[in-house]
Amino acid sequence: MGIITVEKADHLYWLGRYSERVYTTLKLYCDGYDSMIDLDDNYYKKICELLDIPNIYSSKEDFITRYGYDKGDPNSILSNLLRAYDNAIVMRDEIGTETLAYIQMAVYGLEAAAASHAPMMRIQKVVDNLLAFWGCVDDQIDGRCVRGVMKFGKRVERLDLYLRFRRGQSELHRGYMRLVPRAKESGMPYNVEALEKLKGIIDAPVVDYDAALVQLGQILNV
Amino acid sequence: MYDLCRDADAINEQLARYGVKFGIYKNGVFKEQLFPFDAIPRVIDADEFAYLERGLKQRVTALNCFLADIYTDKKIVKDGVIPPEFIYSSSGYLAQCEGVRTPRGIASHISGIDLVQAKDGTWYVLEDNLRVPSGASYPLIARELCRRASPATFREMKIEDNRNYAELLKHVMDYVNTGGDNVIMTPGRYNAAFFEHSYLAEKTGAALVTGSNLFVENDMLYYLDYNGKKQRVGALYRRVSDEYLDPMNFLPESVIGVPHLFDVFRKGNVAILNAPGNGVADDKGIYYFVPKMVKYYLGEDCITHNAPTYLPYYEEDRKYVLDRFDDIVIKDVAEAGGYGVVFGSKLTRREKEDMIALIKNEPRRFIAQDVIDFIDIDIMENGERTPRKADLRAFVLADGDVSVWKSGLTRFSRNPDSFIVNSSQGGGFKDTWVLSR
Repeated sequence: MGIITVEKADHLYWLGRYSERVYTTLKLYCDGYDSMIDLDDNYYKKICELLDIPNIYSSKEDFITRYGYDKGDPNSILSNLLRAYDNAIVMRDEIGTETLAYIQMAVYGLEAAAASHAPMMRIQKVVDNLLAFWGCVDDQIDGRCVRGVMKFGKRVERLDLYLRFRRGQSELHRGYMRLVPRAKESGMPYNVEALEKLKGIIDAPVVDYDAALVQLGQILNV
Repeated sequence: MYDLCRDADAINEQLARYGVKFGIYKNGVFKEQLFPFDAIPRVIDADEFAYLERGLKQRVTALNCFLADIYTDKKIVKDGVIPPEFIYSSSGYLAQCEGVRTPRGIASHISGIDLVQAKDGTWYVLEDNLRVPSGASYPLIARELCRRASPATFREMKIEDNRNYAELLKHVMDYVNTGGDNVIMTPGRYNAAFFEHSYLAEKTGAALVTGSNLFVENDMLYYLDYNGKKQRVGALYRRVSDEYLDPMNFLPESVIGVPHLFDVFRKGNVAILNAPGNGVADDKGIYYFVPKMVKYYLGEDCITHNAPTYLPYYEEDRKYVLDRFDDIVIKDVAEAGGYGVVFGSKLTRREKEDMIALIKNEPRRFIAQDVIDFIDIDIMENGERTPRKADLRAFVLADGDVSVWKSGLTRFSRNPDSFIVNSSQGGGFKDTWVLSR
C-alpha cells in the first residue's frame, strides 16, 4: 500500500517507539538483574531514576518481578511490549503477517520468561525476536513511508532513552545523526526548529540533558 | 496425512505465531483466544463438490434475485410466495433500502452458507449468512502451514489449491468498485473477527480502516492519508453490522459508523459489500422460503436441501412442533452464533412449558427443525482419533459470475455431547479439502 491514514501513521510511529523502548530497557534490566545478584541490592533504584519512573518497588525481588512482567504496572517492560503489540496488531495489513509475528513471539517470550525459574535465559528470545522484527521490517515491507514512520519512531525513542540514561556525547551524536534522515524519510510533518535546537544542545561542551529532552519532546509539534 | 497429524502441534504453534485468534468477551472483559486447529481435514471428493457447487451457485443467485426484488418491486410478495409479515417483521429488513439499486445489481457478494452432512450422505443447508459471514481466513492460513508440514500429502493427493481466496475477493471488490480504492472497514481490534479483517486486508491489498478514518463529502466517501490528502473509496467491504454503519440513517448512537455513508451508497457512489439490508434474506424465518425463491426466480427445482423446517406461524406446523417437541430443535430467528438454539429434549418440564408459551405468543420469532443426525468427523484428541460433530461453511462469491471457493471452514465441537460448533462457544476448525478428481 502506498497510502496510509493519519491514524495508521500514528500507530506505526508508536510501534517503532515502544518496540525500541522494550529492546533498550531489556538490556538495562538484564544488566541490573546481574548487578543485583551479588553486587548491589539497590541497583533497581538507579534504574528507576534513569528511566524517570516512580520507584514503587519494595525490594529488588519486587522490582525484578513487577518491572519485568506486571501488566498492572504501566511502566513495566511487559506493559510497554503490549503497547507495541497493540499498535502492531492493527497494522497487519501494512507491515504484514510475517513481520507482526515477531512482535507476537516477543510477547509469548516475555510471558514465558515471567513464568520461568530462569527468566534471563528466556529473555534472550525476546531480544532475538525484536531484532528479527526490525530485520523483517527492512526485508518485507515495501512501502517506504511505512518503514520510514516506524524507524522515525524507533530513532526518537533511542535518543530519548540515551538522554535519560545520560549517555556520552559520542552516543548522543550517533543517535541524532541516525534520527535526522529518518525524520526526513518518514514523510511525517516534524518540527525542524526543535531538531536544530536539539543539535545545538548535544554539540555544546556540556550537554543539558533535560533541555535536550524538552526539544525532542517537541519533535512532532508543528 | 500422517505427517499432518504428527505435526499438528507444530502447526498450532505456527498459527499462534501468526496471531490466528478470535476475540471474545467474558464477563465484560475482552480476551483473545487461539482458534484450535485440528489437522485431520474434511475431504470432499470432486463429484460431491460439483453437486454442492451447482446447488450453492443456484441458491445464492436466487437469494440475490430476492434481495433485488424485495427492496424494489416485491413481486415475490405480490405473487403470494412469501407472506408480507415475514418480510416486514424481520429484524434484517431495512426500510431505508427501499428503492435502492446496488452497484451491478449484486447485494450478497460474499455469502457464507452453513451446511451439514447427514449420515445418509445428504447435505443440508442450515443457514444462509449474507451479512458479514466470517471464517475464510482460517482455512486459508492453515493450508499454507499444512503444506509446509506435509508437502508429500499435497504432492500425492489432488487437492484443489484454496489459496486464491484473496484473489477472488479482490476481484469481487474490483468488479463492483464505483471508482476509488478498495477498503475493508472493521469495527476495530476488539471485534471477534479482527484477525480476519486485517489478514484479508493484507492479502487483498485493500486499506484497512475504521469508521473514524472515513468521511463523506459531496456525496462521495473518502479517507484521509497521512499527508492530509483525500482518497476516494469505491468499494467498501464492511465488517460492521448494518445498524452501526451510519448514525444518520440507522442507529443514531453508533460511534463506529460513518455519517451519511448510506446516502453515498444510495446514490450509487460507493459499493458496500455486502449490501445493507441483506439480513432480510438470511433471516431464519425466510430460510424456509429459499427453495420457493429458487423456483420462483429461476424456474428450477432447488438443488440444495433445507433441513426439514417448520414455522409455528402456520397452524399446521405449530401443531407438529408442539406434538414433536422432544424431537426438534428450536431457533430464535433474532439470534446468531449458536445462541438462541434450544433442543426440546434437553429442557426441563418448566423450561418446556415456558418455551411452548413463548412459541404460542410469538410464533414468528421461532423456527423449528428436525434434529439432523449429522455425521461425525474425527479429530485428534490426546493422540487418538475421536468423532465430533462438525459443520461446513462454504463461501460463495458473486461478481459477474457466481463461484464457490474450493474449500471452506469446517468447524467442530470439542464437546462430545454438543452439536454447537461455533468458535465463540469453544469450537475448533479444520481445513476443507476439495479433491480435484
